[in-house]
Amino acid sequence: MRISRRDLLLAVPALAGAASAPGFQLRDVTTAAGLRFRHNSGAFGEKLLPETMGAGCAFLDFDRDGWMDILLVNGMDWPGHKRTRTTLALYRNNGDGTFTDVTRKAGLDVEMCGLGVAVGDYDNDGFPDLLITCLGQNRLFRNLGDGRFQDVTEKSGLGRRESFSTSALWFDSTGDGLLDLFVCNYVRWSPEIDVRCSVDGKRKSYCTPEAYRGETCWLFRNRGDGTFEDATAKAGLFDTSSKSLGAALLDLNGDGRLDLFVANDTQPNKLYRNRGNGSFEEIALTAGVAFSEDGKARAGMGVDVADYDRSGRESIAVTNFNNEMLALFRGDGKGGFTDVAPSSEIGRITRGSLGFGCVFADFDLDGWQDLLVVNGHIDDIAAEADAGSGYPQPPHLLLNKAGRGFQEAGVDVGSAFGQPRVGRGLATADFDLDGDVDVLMTENAGPAKLFRNEQSAGRRAIRFELQGVQSNRDAIGARVVVESGGSRQSQRVHTGSSYLSQSELPLTFGMDRAERADRVVVEWPSGRVEEFARLPAGRRHRLVEGKGVVESLPFKG
Amino acid sequence: MPAIQSRSKSVNPTTRLLAGLGVISAAVALFSLYSLRQVDGLRALQLDAIDRNRRDSLQLLRIQNNLQNLALSMRDMTEGGSPYPLAAYRTEFDRARVDLQDALEQERRLAPAARSIQQQSFLSDSLQSFWDAMDGMFAAADAGDEPEAKRLIRQVLQPRHASISTTVARLLISNNEAEQEAALEIERIYDNVERNTYYFMAAVFAAIFLTGGYMVSRNRRVFGEIAQLSEERQQLAGRLITVQEDLFESVARELHDEFGQALTAAGAMLTRLERKSTHAPEELREVRSVTHEALEGVRRLSQRLHPNVLDDYGLEGAIEWHARQIRDQSGLAIDYRPPAEPLPPIDREVAIHIYRIFQEALSNVVKHSQAGAATVRLESHGDRLLLEIADAGAGFPAEPAAARGLGLVAMRERAQLIHGALAIEQPPAGGTVVRLEAPIMGTKT
Repeated sequence: MRISRRDLLLAVPALAGAASAPGFQLRDVTTAAGLRFRHNSGAFGEKLLPETMGAGCAFLDFDRDGWMDILLVNGMDWPGHKRTRTTLALYRNNGDGTFTDVTRKAGLDVEMCGLGVAVGDYDNDGFPDLLITCLGQNRLFRNLGDGRFQDVTEKSGLGRRESFSTSALWFDSTGDGLLDLFVCNYVRWSPEIDVRCSVDGKRKSYCTPEAYRGETCWLFRNRGDGTFEDATAKAGLFDTSSKSLGAALLDLNGDGRLDLFVANDTQPNKLYRNRGNGSFEEIALTAGVAFSEDGKARAGMGVDVADYDRSGRESIAVTNFNNEMLALFRGDGKGGFTDVAPSSEIGRITRGSLGFGCVFADFDLDGWQDLLVVNGHIDDIAAEADAGSGYPQPPHLLLNKAGRGFQEAGVDVGSAFGQPRVGRGLATADFDLDGDVDVLMTENAGPAKLFRNEQSAGRRAIRFELQGVQSNRDAIGARVVVESGGSRQSQRVHTGSSYLSQSELPLTFGMDRAERADRVVVEWPSGRVEEFARLPAGRRHRLVEGKGVVESLPFKG
Repeated sequence: MPAIQSRSKSVNPTTRLLAGLGVISAAVALFSLYSLRQVDGLRALQLDAIDRNRRDSLQLLRIQNNLQNLALSMRDMTEGGSPYPLAAYRTEFDRARVDLQDALEQERRLAPAARSIQQQSFLSDSLQSFWDAMDGMFAAADAGDEPEAKRLIRQVLQPRHASISTTVARLLISNNEAEQEAALEIERIYDNVERNTYYFMAAVFAAIFLTGGYMVSRNRRVFGEIAQLSEERQQLAGRLITVQEDLFESVARELHDEFGQALTAAGAMLTRLERKSTHAPEELREVRSVTHEALEGVRRLSQRLHPNVLDDYGLEGAIEWHARQIRDQSGLAIDYRPPAEPLPPIDREVAIHIYRIFQEALSNVVKHSQAGAATVRLESHGDRLLLEIADAGAGFPAEPAAARGLGLVAMRERAQLIHGALAIEQPPAGGTVVRLEAPIMGTKT
């Protein structure tokens, strides 16, 4: 057989692909699953700032049937430009790969200019409650446990606080076993003070937030009686200069108290160290996470935290504007961070992209957490002006090469997955309970997409669903360390992270070929530490604080 | 050649050319030095004045930005609507204070030298009094006396803030003005350099033009002299040849007319004397024979000095005759190829030159070529005549031209006199070809 040069050229990518086959595919199952959601940005041609922010998504098991349900936040038409009625959507997981829209039945078919979502069981009744952040008044929906939600915004004391809220998260800031609520606010904006920005001098574009004043984030402390008090000033979080879009939980110094990282758009990022007495100290500048390595405040959007290098220390990823590249602040364990993106392939891969949602997860189950980022420009006209950029942009799936850098695999895991989108929200969960991490993403003024993770390399996983007793019931803040075959990896149960979105609370650890976790350590938010030996992989273990493993079920399929 | 020597000695162009080169080099060096000085000046102006000014302005803008944020915070604090106590703003004020102090410190280091000490200290003093008032305000706020804190903001902090803002704005304006002045100065330097570049270019062009012009005129004179010398030499050669021909002709005529007649008469007398005396002595016959030989010698000499055959038979006949003579004398086999048509009448003097060239060429064949045969071709092409003498001999000896005697030189001179072209070629196959091409109507110059 005669082999031409063309054959060789064609064979090279195929061989390269074969050499580093990701071992899994992310298959678009949106239609098969019955998700027919489309985001309404409300845009009617005036290019008002909130229209480009997108909306978040979340995985939650609202009915406690063990299957992760889907919540998709939505915007609405502007007053005076009413065309259709749009609400957020709650899709119940039928357990067979399909979902049913139960929004109306759940009492969530409420019109609002929704942006983000934070899921947390703030009343510790076992049923996850919802905070929807909005332009205007945020909404708190209490899960009644019978499949319905009740709007308790006013009753809970969160009412009469109009702002431009974005990401939010639930965490126990004081160690009282109750989830407090942290809400990011973006800028002081209203249609009346909307500034006309233009990149080409002719057509209006969406402004970057320099045009508006910042707004303080909020911390609402849970009184335990179903009401909240504004503890922003008391906790030292009051800061009207910030223009916050993303927030994430971490423990800077391993003192068991949760600290906060806040990604700010065109303003320095903030890192709030929890002093333990209900107050926080802002240390972003000295910790090295406020600015880029060249001292510039970047357009921080989404954020996630993970022990991606298996050092036992948490690092922070922050998505930024195009030409700013993603920030990967690697922790030194002593409260200091170095952005390793500019000196690594991460910077090169992400430099041209405008990132929003980002999630650390072990997609290929090799025991190393990968990083998934969804991208999309904020403005079609500005994207035209940014040569090499685009309005819709493909996602980055950065596979962790066992601690030796990352490798882009966005197009290798499925052609549908690698398509350019105006990406915003991003959340992950094992919605089909087969022991791997599936992906949900939202597009601004576009459809939400569900991708099922289909493993082909035969790697194993182990999952943990934690339930606090002395700690908050969701065990938010709990750290789980898994040791197998001499390696050690850690993850934290968390809300927030990504952009406007929330992933499931259970943790999935990739085990590669290992058949069991030799040792599992759980550090509960209460301070209790529990150890488990020889937990089998291929199963999901339900751990209750103080009671150990109460249930252990094999993965489906 | 005394004439040429005297002309060459009169002016030495090298000195003047070197002087021109020196002037141009000096001009380039001077202008380079001047340009470097101007660039240094520009750099100094840009670094010391403009860059420093800009960095100072950046610090002033940083101060202004902080002041603006403080103004907005104070407005939020006094106008109500905020659910937060005034004390909550302390962190923002503290942050602004740290940044302002740092900006002020850096600004002081960068401040233009022109700024007065009073101006500088006014800024820091005003800020200090602002911080003092701020501390008082937050003390009141911490004590729960918000109305007093708000009063302090309105009546003390905001007026002081306004005064500082005005000062910073003034400093920014004065920086701007200084920058504009520096920009004007830079513009002036650029203008000067531009103008001087034109002057320099004009001067260098002038120097190059003068030197070049001088060289051109020198060359023209030299070429003129050479042309004149060549002409003079040619005239001299022509005259020499003419004089020689005239002399030869007169000598030949004398020989023919005087000695020839005398010897012919003597021969005739001796013949008659011999016929009369039946027993003529042997001596008489010998005398008649000597006389006859002398007559033949005189005729041959006369013929060589002036080929009368030319006058009698024309060029074509003379050439054929001479070729025959040479063949008879030397045994050289000569293949003579006469012209297809008779030659038109040719000026006598032109014919003599052509004939002499032919004689010399054939003589060379006999003397030098060692060839046994030669070809002689005579042709006419319209008004042009071609004479070619070719042999298959040894060719020219490798000795220098000067050593070859005057034969070749005379051939060339004669060819030139009749406006002809003489070519002597040595074909690769060997031998020598002498080719003369001349206008038939050519006249003697």
